[in-house]
Amino acid sequence: MPTLTVNGKKVTVGEDAVILDAARCAGVHVPTLCQFDGLEPWGGCRLCVVDMWQQGWDEDWFKMVTACNHPVAEGMRVVTASERVVETRRVVLDLLLARCPDTALIQRLAAEHGITETSYEVNPKATDCILCGLCTRVCDHIGVSAIASVNRGFGREIAPPFHQAPPDCIGCLACAEVCPTQCIPYSEAAGSRRIWDKDFEMLRDPATGEAVITKAQAEHFARRSGVRPGYFATSETSKRRAMAATFAKLKVVG
Amino acid sequence: MRIESIAQFAALQEQARERATSRLQQIMVCCGTGCLASGSKKVAEAFAAEVAKRELDASVGMVVKTTGCHGFCERGPLVALLPSGILYTKVKPSNVEQIIDKTVLGGEVIPSLTYKNPADGQRIAAYTEIPFYKHQTRVAMRNIGRIDPTDILDAIVEGAYAGLAKALSEMTPEAVIEEVAVAGQRGRGGAGFSTSRKWRSCRRAPGDRRFVLCNGDEGDPGAFKDRSIMEGVPHSVLEGMVIGAWAVGAHEGYIYVRDEYPLAVVHLTIALEQARRYGLLGENIMGSGFDFDIKISRGGGAFVCGESSALMRSLEGKIGEPRAKYVHSTDKGLFDLPTVLNNVETWAGIGAIIDRGGKWFASMGTDRSKGTKAFSLVGKVKNTGLIELPMGTTLRTIIFDIGGGILGDRPFKAVQTGGPSGGCVPESLLDLPVDYERLTEAGSMMGSGGMIVMDDRTCMVDVARYFLKFLTEESCGKCVPCREGLQQLLHIFDRLVDGRGRKDDIAKIERLARGMQLGSLCELGKSAPNPVLSTLRYFRSEYEAHIHDRSCPAGTCRELTAYEIIPDLCDGCHACFKACPVDAITGTIKELHVIHHDACISCGACFDVCPTAAIRTFPKVELNTEVV
Amino acid sequence: MSEQPCVDLAKAEAILGKYPPEEPSLIQVLQDVQRAYNFLPCDVLVKVADALGVPLAHVFSVATFYKAFALNPQGDTIIKVCTGTACHIRGAGQLVEELVRTLGIRPDQTTEDLKFTIKTVNCVGACAMAPVMIVGEKYWGNAKPARMTKYLGKGRGDDEN
Repeated sequence: MPTLTVNGKKVTVGEDAVILDAARCAGVHVPTLCQFDGLEPWGGCRLCVVDMWQQGWDEDWFKMVTACNHPVAEGMRVVTASERVVETRRVVLDLLLARCPDTALIQRLAAEHGITETSYEVNPKATDCILCGLCTRVCDHIGVSAIASVNRGFGREIAPPFHQAPPDCIGCLACAEVCPTQCIPYSEAAGSRRIWDKDFEMLRDPATGEAVITKAQAEHFARRSGVRPGYFATSETSKRRAMAATFAKLKVVG
Repeated sequence: MRIESIAQFAALQEQARERATSRLQQIMVCCGTGCLASGSKKVAEAFAAEVAKRELDASVGMVVKTTGCHGFCERGPLVALLPSGILYTKVKPSNVEQIIDKTVLGGEVIPSLTYKNPADGQRIAAYTEIPFYKHQTRVAMRNIGRIDPTDILDAIVEGAYAGLAKALSEMTPEAVIEEVAVAGQRGRGGAGFSTSRKWRSCRRAPGDRRFVLCNGDEGDPGAFKDRSIMEGVPHSVLEGMVIGAWAVGAHEGYIYVRDEYPLAVVHLTIALEQARRYGLLGENIMGSGFDFDIKISRGGGAFVCGESSALMRSLEGKIGEPRAKYVHSTDKGLFDLPTVLNNVETWAGIGAIIDRGGKWFASMGTDRSKGTKAFSLVGKVKNTGLIELPMGTTLRTIIFDIGGGILGDRPFKAVQTGGPSGGCVPESLLDLPVDYERLTEAGSMMGSGGMIVMDDRTCMVDVARYFLKFLTEESCGKCVPCREGLQQLLHIFDRLVDGRGRKDDIAKIERLARGMQLGSLCELGKSAPNPVLSTLRYFRSEYEAHIHDRSCPAGTCRELTAYEIIPDLCDGCHACFKACPVDAITGTIKELHVIHHDACISCGACFDVCPTAAIRTFPKVELNTEVV
Repeated sequence: MSEQPCVDLAKAEAILGKYPPEEPSLIQVLQDVQRAYNFLPCDVLVKVADALGVPLAHVFSVATFYKAFALNPQGDTIIKVCTGTACHIRGAGQLVEELVRTLGIRPDQTTEDLKFTIKTVNCVGACAMAPVMIVGEKYWGNAKPARMTKYLGKGRGDDEN
């Protein structure tokens, strides 16, 4: 269980911890964009950079690394807001503000770092997508992989194959929900859901009539778990009622 | 015939030697990509046809060989002769008969085909006397141009697999690593990391399965030494990899060849088949019980795949996205298994290091950069081509003694080294001994070994912009500083070369450069600002001229440069008229010609062809006309 | 996808038969497909995804990431102008301009009659012969804009320049 310091504060964390874990333990806030608990760290946004010193190095030799994926080590010293770290974060946000000038999250983060207007040329095709990759990463994580990054460099974007309705998408909305800027649109109406230009039939809870889950997603879960698809079409309402019924049968003892 | 013991290998060497001695006259026609582009294939075919027709192979042991790149591409097609040691340049099929009769059979030199030294107009016939070759010390490229890359026996005669035989029969894997450590060899791909340290790390990594990889992605524009090695001496690469695999305990290897090098893939494939047939690769190599085989993987056309972790993703069938290096690839590399990745030139040197000993290698070079290094010397230099020299040779020697000086004897301005991660070294540093540390201190880096020579007609702002444009197309796009930063830097530079620079541009560039250096995920992004920063460091006045005066001192940025013909110097030769792609020049032969500014696109074609230097450039802002 | 011509999948099947049916084979398979069809037809990509067990989205990601692949039919002859550093300073830009003037299309575009596609490519490693142009399989070193018609094969020329 390594012990290290974050901004001078000592913390002890698990063997497999990363610097971000240590920072949280120490109560120190490190801004992130492409990090999400439960998903493998990616290290793409570079917002979580910190200065780090390890045993055996010269006293004043620090290395700038991303907190989300750099492993901790015994005796490590982490500085989360040195001048060059803050300046690097500013450059990252300044660049993102040029790319996504109208995106509330970026405007807020940039303002928190003292930037109200970008120093750079504004993207003529302003977008809300910050290319954090969370949507594709969660989609890979659940074993669907319906969307992926397309092209490289500045023209990189997130898209389904051939920019058409993705054949593998199960309409689970994980991508839309994990997106930090809510830039993946979807709609629901009359027992049908639409996302990525694809329409999904929803399964209804037979007890309440609510549209609960897409048929495709239920079938995906069924394939992976061996449980029949209908099981997954239980609405929250039904679950609460079932739980209430259980509580009603319990006797309080003593 | 599979070699199953060292004794059998020695017998094979003897067999190869005997065959070589029976070849009393060797005609070696360079068929590297450069000479092929000049038509050397027809020359080789003409020689082969003539020798066959006159049955000279049987009667006088005359053999025609096609070889890999001699390096002196500009003078191609090149033909080298043994045992006379004569090199003929710019050979045409029509010269073939004469060469056979006069030189090969008659022993006489044909002056018109020999190299003419631009310095003094002297003709030099002997290969080893030509300044371009005289100053070289070839180790990794030692046999290119001497052997037929598709013939393993040719390679064996020149020492191929002797190092492997020694390693397998006399040395333990640890001893092999120790020998490489004594040699002090550092990676020849650009980073210059100690080869032995890398191998040792991998050897110590736990697990049974590991890989050795060869990085043949050579993405630096201007560098082609790896191409020449893979095309010209593929067995050197294979031998190095077998030795390395033995040292780290790997049984599988890959050679990653960039898509743009089809001939390298062909020659490597042939070499692999031959090596397997002779038991020098595959199962039970040389009867040692060691199994190891190699597969070739073609790149998909992405400079970023020269980065080791991106290369491994590409081998896995994925997009070439680098990942953070907190976990070393010697622990978790290809398929998350221990992996050694080395450059082509690095592998090509290993056989010689084991055969001749690490001490021999370390006897060349400087204190921290041992051995020799291959460079591709290109650009505005007279003798362009591929050279190999001991580390520590100065830039001046390279550019002026070997390179023969600047094309057209124009003033030297800078030499760009290290590709898009490197920088420009100015005249004041011409006496810099070339090694890893010295180049880095000067704001550049060794990189792959590309050396692009620039003269006074090269605009350094444009050079920086060129590299930015290149990198914007090659960035994988994963991280913000590189993806967005390169694009924004390019926007700024687009304005600078167009004369729309702003007062705060330099400060903006410097701030963004620092953010990219510190914040980028991989070396592509981190080193992307280098060409910008190094040109700012040594040629700041050019930037300022672009911004404040709207002028391009080199006279090449088109929006800032106008051309005119100086009346007193024009002799009406009409060359400019013919060269102009947009018919912006009027004039009849023997009369004064005139450039029309409204039509002129400032491409400089006329300037390049004018034989009397009668065309001058001047800042476009001085044009007080209705145009621009 | 529906605008693409129907392709003969037999060629794709033959290619797939040469490689182990797994993800690491993807790029090699796509290169063979590119060579066989002169581009990557979407029907073939679907087949490849299925055969190698790779999600279609990842196949498309790889197809659009690497410069070697084209998703639209290319011209019969691909003209590649090297834009490596040595070629750049020795006038590659002028070659591109001359091509644009001669063929009426820009880099990455194909002529209407599908005869030519212009591409600017990274360093091809023939730097000593800069600027270099490759027309089909043929390398032209020390290329000059004035000789463009010869390079494009509208006149007969031999290997010399």
